[in-house]
Amino acid sequence: MKNYIIYILLGTALVFGACEYDNYEEPQAILYGQVVYDGQAVGVRTNGPQLELWQDGYELSKNIPIFIAQDGTYSVSLFDGEYKLVRKAGAPWLAELSDTIIVNVNGHTEFDVPVTPYFSLHDETYQAGNNTVSVTFNIDQVVDAAAIQEVNLYLGYSVLTDQNKNEHIAGADISNITLGGQNNIQATIPEHLQDEEYLFVRVGVRSNMSGEFSYTEVQKLDI
Amino acid sequence: MKNLYIKLTFICCLFLMACENEEWLERQPQNIITDEQLWNDPQLIKSLLANYYNRIPTLHGVFNTGGMAELDDAMWSGHQDQNWRNDFQFGDDYGRYWDYTYIREINLAIENIDQYSVELSDEEKDLFKSELRFIRAFIYFELVKRMGGVPIITEQLIYDFSGDPSSLQIPRATEQEVYDFIYNEMEAIKDLLDANSSSQTRANKFVALALESRAMLYAGSIAKYNAEMGSPISTDGGEVGIPSGLANEYFAKSLAASQEIINSGGYEIYNENPDKGANFYELFMQKGNSEIIFAKDYTLSLKIHWFTYDNIPRSLTEDNESSSNLSPSLGLVESYDYLDGSEGTLRYQTAAGDYIAYDNIEDIFANKDARLYGTIVYPGTTFKSAPVSIQAGIAVWNGDTYEFRNAPNLGDNYDDGQLWTGFDGPQDNARDVSNTGFYMRKFVSEAPGASTRGVAAENWWPWFRLGEIYLNAAEAAFELGRGEAVGYINTLRERAGFPANSLSALTTEIIRKERRVELAFEDHRYFDLKRWRIAHEVWNGSDTNEDALVYGLYPYRVVRDGHEDDGKYIFNKVRPTRFRQPRFFRMANYYSSIDPNVLNNNPKLVRNPFH
Repeated sequence: MKNYIIYILLGTALVFGACEYDNYEEPQAILYGQVVYDGQAVGVRTNGPQLELWQDGYELSKNIPIFIAQDGTYSVSLFDGEYKLVRKAGAPWLAELSDTIIVNVNGHTEFDVPVTPYFSLHDETYQAGNNTVSVTFNIDQVVDAAAIQEVNLYLGYSVLTDQNKNEHIAGADISNITLGGQNNIQATIPEHLQDEEYLFVRVGVRSNMSGEFSYTEVQKLDI
Repeated sequence: MKNLYIKLTFICCLFLMACENEEWLERQPQNIITDEQLWNDPQLIKSLLANYYNRIPTLHGVFNTGGMAELDDAMWSGHQDQNWRNDFQFGDDYGRYWDYTYIREINLAIENIDQYSVELSDEEKDLFKSELRFIRAFIYFELVKRMGGVPIITEQLIYDFSGDPSSLQIPRATEQEVYDFIYNEMEAIKDLLDANSSSQTRANKFVALALESRAMLYAGSIAKYNAEMGSPISTDGGEVGIPSGLANEYFAKSLAASQEIINSGGYEIYNENPDKGANFYELFMQKGNSEIIFAKDYTLSLKIHWFTYDNIPRSLTEDNESSSNLSPSLGLVESYDYLDGSEGTLRYQTAAGDYIAYDNIEDIFANKDARLYGTIVYPGTTFKSAPVSIQAGIAVWNGDTYEFRNAPNLGDNYDDGQLWTGFDGPQDNARDVSNTGFYMRKFVSEAPGASTRGVAAENWWPWFRLGEIYLNAAEAAFELGRGEAVGYINTLRERAGFPANSLSALTTEIIRKERRVELAFEDHRYFDLKRWRIAHEVWNGSDTNEDALVYGLYPYRVVRDGHEDDGKYIFNKVRPTRFRQPRFFRMANYYSSIDPNVLNNNPKLVRNPFH
């Protein structure tokens, strides 16, 4: 009987002892920041464009994807160390595959990723009334080779409003867009939205160089 | 004692004798087939070939019900656990394909025939080797369609255990080189396949030409339409992207291959049944008909498929589970034009938004392209000679507007004693019943027992058929600006019930729509939209873009006492609840990402754009 108890104790000790070794420590460091152009965060589609991290020094390599929130911020849990950050294609900014950015992650590290969007939107002001929403905004061409494909005003129920998730899109006439100057889009609020107290609004622009739009920050607008 | 000596001597003799005859110990193994046996026995080689033919790759084809539910032609309405097909975006690895095991097996087989076959005639050897080369080219075509240029490997790679594997690390060929490889292989083998000329399930000259016709059309359109994009998808080394100057050369090669098949006289557009709709359905079900160039065959109790079990209309299933996994979309139904040549949009509402009442439930589909009947089961038609019971519910007039009411159970009668909701639905947010008001007819077998798991179906899968070759010829000729293009399309439209010479001129849109309606569910649409470089616009992921969504059309019986519309049928367009996310194809999906393990193993491989 005594032996029996000893065996059980021994077995239990083994089981608990084993736990210490077969798990990796979770990554403690956090890299966070936003994608910026000209000191201003670049808005993107939720679950859309990504950045990529790579780390040298291992036999096998695999990218670490960074998801970007709709307001242009990101954060990723990592181990301390040196990483290479890549601004890959499939985003509303220039892909700079050969121009990687070295990022040293040490604990809580903030890093703003500079990007070059094809077009940049800024100084937007919205006005609501009489079941219409109008917006004035400035649009600058950043990459000379690009041409504007679409400029839209989006109305949505939530802060996640973009080309894919929205309740209403009002497109601007591309031929009337003034680059480097002030532009205007007016939207009639569709019937099913007219009873809302407020809507989320934002403006997006897409160039012919990319499938993705770059956006202004989402704003909550009382209507 | 003396006896003992005699016995011993005798036994010793036995041993000595046995030892002398050493050949007696050398026996053929009973459980292993040696290379010498295999490659000298045509029967064994054929069974090996059957294995290779069986593994020819496909994305949404060969009765892949799930894959067919991932585009804009249909949604998934089967078990809830696969509802992700209605709620997903094409991932970076969507369509990824990288099967060099299969390629190695074929390379090995070709080398073994050269090495071991001594009893086969040269003709037999050439035939088998050419078939293997056809299958290998088909695999490379599937690879280049999905991944762009890939390493072209035509012999087995053997490791020398030197510790340096770099001789095995082959870089990617350019996209153009892979298409040229396919063309050159087909040109080299097409005249060596004469012995198979009467077969529809083994490669022959016209199967090789059919692959050439399709592959060269793809190469030509990628060369042309990639260059027309705002920022063409390409890599510096040409692994992805074909120079636009080559487009016409490829179109001309495609046209020449198509015309050789069409003018050979060996194949005919299937036109046996005066009922044009039934005729189009029978084209796929009548085995051995002369439209089919190359097919994957099935036979009961030996090799069967479950496409009928998966997709038969609910009330007609002979099994106790499944059925009705695919609900074809209203968008597909509306892409079938009216026989008078007008757009196929269904007239269910007036311009003012009032519902249009029809005397019979099928009247709204009257005078449509007969291929609609041959492809889709819609309300008011029959399947297996039995009428289908498709009716969503009743529309009750409340003095101001119609109120749509659905029965609690399929097949219930309403208070007036007449049908409320049909046995075949449609029913929103339900399983194993159409969610759009439409069912599949194409490829769904009417044979007894075909919808049971015990018997299942044996209709075959057409890899290539003459109808596609006509469309390939039309598109290539149109791209080359040649006048005969319109004639090829008119031939197909005449078979579908249109009058002779129904079109006088072609446009890109007409060709694209014809391909959608003629080749629906035949594993063309995804790749067609990719090579035209419009997939990211058609499936742009936007909730406000109807092309990216699957809609249904629900028929209702009007209950409105004393009114002329009482007892007639009206139709309501709905977005099914189970269809959650619009189809979303990103630039990154034009070429799938290469598996990181593959990249790690071969540092010479260049990554695809966007990945």
